[in-house]
Amino acid sequence: MSEKPIEPIHQFQIHEYFSLGTFGGDGTPGSGIHLAFTNSALFMLLTVGAIGLYLIWSTNARAIIPGKAQLLSEMLYEFIHGMVKTTAGHEAMKFFPLVFSLFMFILVANMFGMFPYFFTVTSHLIVTVAMALIVFLTVVIYGFMKNGPKFLKLFVPSGVPIYILPLVTIIEVISFLSRPISHSLRLFGNILAGHIVLKVFGGMVVALLSAGAWGIAAVLPFGMAVALTGLEFLVAGLQAFVFAVLTCVYLHDAIHPGH
Amino acid sequence: MSRGFRLASEFVAAIIVGAGLGLLVDYFLPTRPWGLIALVLLGFAAGVLNVIRATAEMNAESAVPKDTPALPDDEDE
Repeated sequence: MSEKPIEPIHQFQIHEYFSLGTFGGDGTPGSGIHLAFTNSALFMLLTVGAIGLYLIWSTNARAIIPGKAQLLSEMLYEFIHGMVKTTAGHEAMKFFPLVFSLFMFILVANMFGMFPYFFTVTSHLIVTVAMALIVFLTVVIYGFMKNGPKFLKLFVPSGVPIYILPLVTIIEVISFLSRPISHSLRLFGNILAGHIVLKVFGGMVVALLSAGAWGIAAVLPFGMAVALTGLEFLVAGLQAFVFAVLTCVYLHDAIHPGH
Repeated sequence: MSRGFRLASEFVAAIIVGAGLGLLVDYFLPTRPWGLIALVLLGFAAGVLNVIRATAEMNAESAVPKDTPALPDDEDE
């Protein structure tokens, strides 16, 4: 067997490139807020840079008959435009920049993660939770700003007998609070599980190849790894889409509370 | 797979929130352990509600639009 054990979790480790210093705390290790530029930060920066540069470069020509690059940018724009309009309603178009940014960031971060030796930003729960909380807080703050106390009607469905109304209201509140959790957990879980499974099958190929005559059986996990790579590309796109659609669904609730 | 994952996460998330709220209630009120028990059960109910809503959404997405003709018209061409 190989000397180095195969660790499927190793790919998610965070390395520090350079430290930005520690703020607060009393000097003992582990106290205060330690800021550092990590590989996660690097890939977030690369993701945002790639999106920004591509969109600026491809739409720079402003051709009436678009070239291939401009066509792709316009298709992405039209895709999210249609999604926001049909799912969240016409009034939600002021949130188009939010939905488009989230979609592009998740999509490109997931696709970056498909390169060998690249770090996958969305495989860390803290990143997906931050994005889900942005959406959740937007919904709550905008909902109260626009509808005032009427926003609370979201928790009181109409047409329910008065004697079970308190129970239903508590269930609705729990259901509403569970949104950011399921929103973030889904993206994180899909990406994490996909990458671990890919690594495990890749490790099986190496282990079988180093086991002498059994090396011929390495074809089987290799085939699985190839198939799973295709599936992972599908998941990368699909999860970005699902995240954006659910953002639209939640924004719809903020604008039109009450079922 | 993504549909199944979506339903599972909707369900689990509601139970997590229910348990969290239950622990919070028990921490501040002398009701231990009844707050946790009641709110986990309510979280379970909210999870079922989430799953029903998500399924209804999925069904609405995959349903045939109402304005599609029942049979294709050859004569229009």
